[in-house]
Amino acid sequence: MNENVIDRSRDITILEVLDRVLNKGVILTGDIVISVADIDLIYLGVKLMLSSVETMEKLKSGMH
Amino acid sequence: MINELIYVYCIAVNPPGLIDELKARGLKSIEIGQFNVLIKNVPEIEFSEENLKQNIADLRWLEANAREHINVIGMIMGYTSVIPFKFGTIFKTLESLEKFISVYSGSLLENFEFIKGREEWAVKIYCDRKALSKHIDELSETAAALEKQIMASSPGKAFLLQRKKADLIENELDRICKERGQSYFSELAILSEANSLNNLLPKEVSGRDDTMILNASFLVNSDKVSHVKDIFIKLGSREVNSSFHIEITGPWPPFSFISINEKTQ
Repeated sequence: MNENVIDRSRDITILEVLDRVLNKGVILTGDIVISVADIDLIYLGVKLMLSSVETMEKLKSGMH
Repeated sequence: MINELIYVYCIAVNPPGLIDELKARGLKSIEIGQFNVLIKNVPEIEFSEENLKQNIADLRWLEANAREHINVIGMIMGYTSVIPFKFGTIFKTLESLEKFISVYSGSLLENFEFIKGREEWAVKIYCDRKALSKHIDELSETAAALEKQIMASSPGKAFLLQRKKADLIENELDRICKERGQSYFSELAILSEANSLNNLLPKEVSGRDDTMILNASFLVNSDKVSHVKDIFIKLGSREVNSSFHIEITGPWPPFSFISINEKTQ
């Protein structure tokens, strides 16, 4: 078995993952498939930041 | 099973080694024509058009499923060549999947031929503009000339020229970053079989303090990978300071080099 980046790097960031899987590969749309619309990583990035800030705030205030 | 949809991860040409871990995750390899399609039956309650749209907005769900998508493809890639699908591609019926494979078999074979013996590597380069600006007089003749002028000026004039220099530095940093990004890209483009330039991600997305100046993927012949990495290290070591941070990762599933982007009927 050949080793690739996904085996080695358990700590690949979610943005690194999304940067590859969201808008690349075989891209199909139409009646026979259900597919995810294009997601703007920049928009998503801001959301990810906000959600991590939110998580930290919750942790700080002892909420889970 | 009723109410189940077919989530497609990737297509392989040879039967992939379906290790126990993948079987335990409910993955199946089905043979369609000369291809092996890696699928999982998924429930409508999670993956119907409407439900998928809602789930995508849930970042925890998105992260878990996007990671699952790339992890599965990564494992299969350890055994055989793969054509990865975009995350979240779900066929409504087995017949429609079979029809897609049969209609696109020629194109799939061409894609397999194209990626055969080649690996996708990603290169991201970041610039610490603050650190780079400390070396601006070495890197920019215009900045150095202006600095000389400042040194020779009266305090009042020097103050005005300093402000002028602050603007000039920003422009020069833009120019240097652009040139560096272009130069790395060109060097790697020559050594690779194909390339794909991706959007530069802003700091909010990269989560880093420095500025992304290159985000590209390269398709490299497997037997050239170590040579390419050596060249890359040499390119990095020629930098006079540590303002540039270079990240090279791979091999990735060849997401960037698949040219099937279709509206199916």
